[in-house]
Amino acid sequence: MVRNAAIVGGGHADWGKREATWKDLAQEAGKATFDDVDGLGPDDVEGLFVGAVQPERFAFQSHVAPLAAELLGVNASKMIARTELACASGQAALRYAWLAIAAGQLDVALVLGVEKMNLGDEYMGETQASMTNVLDREFDGVNGLNAPSFFSMYAQRHMHEYDTTREQLAQVSVKNKRHAANNPYAQFQQDVDVDDVLDSFPVAPPLCLLDCSGITDGAAGLLLVSEEKARELTDTAAYVTGSGQSCMASNSINNLPSMSAWPQATQAAEEAYEQAGIDDPVEELDVAEVHDCFSISEIIEYEDLGWVEKGEGGQFIEDGRSELDGDIAVNPRGGLLGCGHPLGATGVSQALEVYKQFTGEVESARQVPDSPETGLIHNLSGSGSVHSVMTLARDPQ
Amino acid sequence: MTDTDDEVPRRTVTIPDRIELPRLLDFYDLQDADHTRIHEFYDRLREGSLSTTQCADCGELHFPPRVVCPECTSDDLEYVSLPHEGTLHAFSTVRGSPIGMDTPFGTGVVDLDGVDVQLSARIDGAEYDDLAIGDPVSLVITEIDGPTDQQRVFYRFEPQGDNE
Repeated sequence: MVRNAAIVGGGHADWGKREATWKDLAQEAGKATFDDVDGLGPDDVEGLFVGAVQPERFAFQSHVAPLAAELLGVNASKMIARTELACASGQAALRYAWLAIAAGQLDVALVLGVEKMNLGDEYMGETQASMTNVLDREFDGVNGLNAPSFFSMYAQRHMHEYDTTREQLAQVSVKNKRHAANNPYAQFQQDVDVDDVLDSFPVAPPLCLLDCSGITDGAAGLLLVSEEKARELTDTAAYVTGSGQSCMASNSINNLPSMSAWPQATQAAEEAYEQAGIDDPVEELDVAEVHDCFSISEIIEYEDLGWVEKGEGGQFIEDGRSELDGDIAVNPRGGLLGCGHPLGATGVSQALEVYKQFTGEVESARQVPDSPETGLIHNLSGSGSVHSVMTLARDPQ
Repeated sequence: MTDTDDEVPRRTVTIPDRIELPRLLDFYDLQDADHTRIHEFYDRLREGSLSTTQCADCGELHFPPRVVCPECTSDDLEYVSLPHEGTLHAFSTVRGSPIGMDTPFGTGVVDLDGVDVQLSARIDGAEYDDLAIGDPVSLVITEIDGPTDQQRVFYRFEPQGDNE
């Protein structure tokens, strides 16, 4: 039995430096989710999937899925689990919910992503230390490889091998922060220009502060239901049409296939495209939420998701092809660069954005024109070792 | 319900201001045979040699060192020496101040000469602006002072010619 599943709504807590706990954020996102969907409440939820990366380090709390179930009054009578896949934990949660529904195990799932990361500026060292254990801590994290220093080397290699320019990197930040300026839950709601990016603090050269996503407290939730249930509830849903993941047995530096390319993203995308029947993604995708944890990431993703030839990602942003009115509207939500990156919540938020683009419920300044009907979400994790790609469509065929 | 809580007893619990660095917040592993099966890697490094494991069955050269070959699942592995020289594949500066690390410092990825091993390492002895991709670098062994009684070591790299 393989059944279709669809997103029928969801909501966010406000993202940023929040004067709130992990539990507060989970409750806010849960309320926003149930408030958004007429006809479904906590009692209807049979499966709960919670994306959360480091509650043990950031909130001194484990076993967070039943904690969230209790907070939201969710019975989770058939399935409950937390997913941990570093920065892609959110899409992992969604993927498992989809598989459970596709397999006929349940009809209504709540997918929740929650991360509390800001412990106060005086404790930023603890947060940064926790981030270094995402790679092999014994051999890579120990060398200070937290996210900025690591992804800066992807930027350096890409610039070295393909002549990608610093300005092209900055253009990604400018685009995504422009979208976030019109997103009420985003952490960074301010326009910047290329000079602002280039003049910002060199956090990890060649990357500057405005090339980086934030340290963010945030949460997002969505309801994923079987097609039968979706048709009872609404005329406009976002159906999962394809889903792929690839790891290539890589995590440590020595075993990454490349430091300027993500063939794992290519594998995951090809898998999703095949399931969805997508032959030409640039032609057939209307909107994409891709993992711009750093400006360089989005440029590599244009290439390795199969939208342009390798090395032409910088030209793709420079030519405006990823703007709202371009070939594929990329990160109308504001991306991780604009919204911030509460690790476990990001993948859930990306999926919800595609749904909201389909229903036209986003702020007009960041609405993708001409009623988008197909979308893609992409979550990467760790050193770029794992890539998760899902395609969504208003029509399940 | 009473109007005041005067009758509720009050007591104090005291949390210590400081605690010793907990084992799980120490970036470096305990390196002896009581704690890790790759202690030979650390033993050799302490003696001045960078090494790793190679599979005696399929010949796969690993890094980091393993106890089971990820290529063929054999556990018949032997330690082999690695070159102490290489070139910079990529590099950056760490400013995020993870606890226990004095920032800023250089970090990078090194292609070891003549073998198919690429490793990350702290890059000592040069500022970011003084380095370029392809620069030759060589091994430095760092001795880790505290917080255990173990004589622990780790590897770093620095530009060649710095070690006069």
